[in-house]
Amino acid sequence: MDDITFRRIIYTDPFTTDKEVVEAAKNDPKKQAFWEEIRAMESAMQEAMDIPVPEDLADKLILRQSMNDFKQKKKQRPWYLALAASVVFASVLTIGLIGSSSQGLASDVFAHMSHMEYEINKYGPTDLASVNSKLATYNGQIKEGFGEIVSANYCYLDSIKSLHLIIKGEKGLTSLFVVPSQLAEPLDESFSNDVYTGSAFLLESAKVIVVSEDPSQVSAITQKAKEFLSFSI
Amino acid sequence: MPNDVGRINIDYSAFISKKVRFLPMLGKKSEESSVSIDMMTKQRRYEALVKALHADVFRYAVWLIKDRTIAEDVVQETFLRAWKSLDSLQDEAAAKSWLITILRRENARRFERKQFDLVDIDDVSVADPVAPSDGNVENRDLRRAIASLSDEYREPIVLQVLMGFSGDEIAEQLGLNKNTVMTRLFRARSQIKEIMTKDHELGVSING
Repeated sequence: MDDITFRRIIYTDPFTTDKEVVEAAKNDPKKQAFWEEIRAMESAMQEAMDIPVPEDLADKLILRQSMNDFKQKKKQRPWYLALAASVVFASVLTIGLIGSSSQGLASDVFAHMSHMEYEINKYGPTDLASVNSKLATYNGQIKEGFGEIVSANYCYLDSIKSLHLIIKGEKGLTSLFVVPSQLAEPLDESFSNDVYTGSAFLLESAKVIVVSEDPSQVSAITQKAKEFLSFSI
Repeated sequence: MPNDVGRINIDYSAFISKKVRFLPMLGKKSEESSVSIDMMTKQRRYEALVKALHADVFRYAVWLIKDRTIAEDVVQETFLRAWKSLDSLQDEAAAKSWLITILRRENARRFERKQFDLVDIDDVSVADPVAPSDGNVENRDLRRAIASLSDEYREPIVLQVLMGFSGDEIAEQLGLNKNTVMTRLFRARSQIKEIMTKDHELGVSING
């Protein structure tokens, strides 16, 4: 095989297994040396092309999609639904039953409470660094000393990607949810059903929701969250 | 028993090389309609796709565009569009080239949109156009050499080396015939070799 053909094949595919190329290299140390040089350059090129990827890119892509999807759904509601909604809203106003508008979010929050054990088994335990890396998706941070977080895990509340922290307290488990505030539907400052009590409040750019069976736990964790959690906008 | 969506079986093995952990979507009631389950399946498919391929797609975008910030924007647009047409992806094994096709189209769109406020790349002085410096001189020089190739040579070589595409796949992706692709791969490598050799000689003469 002549030199030009040999080089052309090597340059096109440095890892070729072409028999003639292998044979030619075997019989000519110069060709062999050239091949080795190009293979070394190829490995270096692979390394050079393997540039660093932003750590949170995957989370951003998933979050952006759920935000977009959420907005789309809002936009795509047909006119008659809007009309129907207005009628319902007007009736609700008339009867004076305002305050139940946040059932979607609240009921999803309650639904998550029954999953706590499952989540702890599947996703716990966790540590502060990994909680913080998940909070970073929401530009959030938690300081040391907040208490024992037994699981941190993304979940969907009312089709919004949220972060679910499970905190071990003196009187059992408490859940803390982080939802991007611009997406969260309004939720009463305090809400409850037969079993659980919850509180919802804004912390800079995030809505934080705390839920537990024990009302005293809710106020304790709410206090702590305001002290130890922060979200930059 | 709550509806555990983990029981829905989708075969991702074709395009996922690493083990991917799904984000759970708990809290949905057991009376979930089949429409919502479809949505959840789509969501899981999408998340698996993001996790398996976002890094490669991002790297490819950076090499294509030579600007990390713009590349990240284009990758965002790419995955958003991928989500919208996810149903059209029948064969998971083709996911990589499917995403690259979308990415190249999104990148072309960027030029259509912004044809009036483009910055001439030659006017911008960039030490390392694609990556923060990692202190490795050979890497840095090679990156510069690869980035300095013209688009027609850079794209095929990045598809081959970074994305692991075969000659046929590159030809299909770029709409070229295979011989043209082979010629471009040859020229790309010989140009890189030439630049690196020159750099080396220059370095030796300066140091010596």
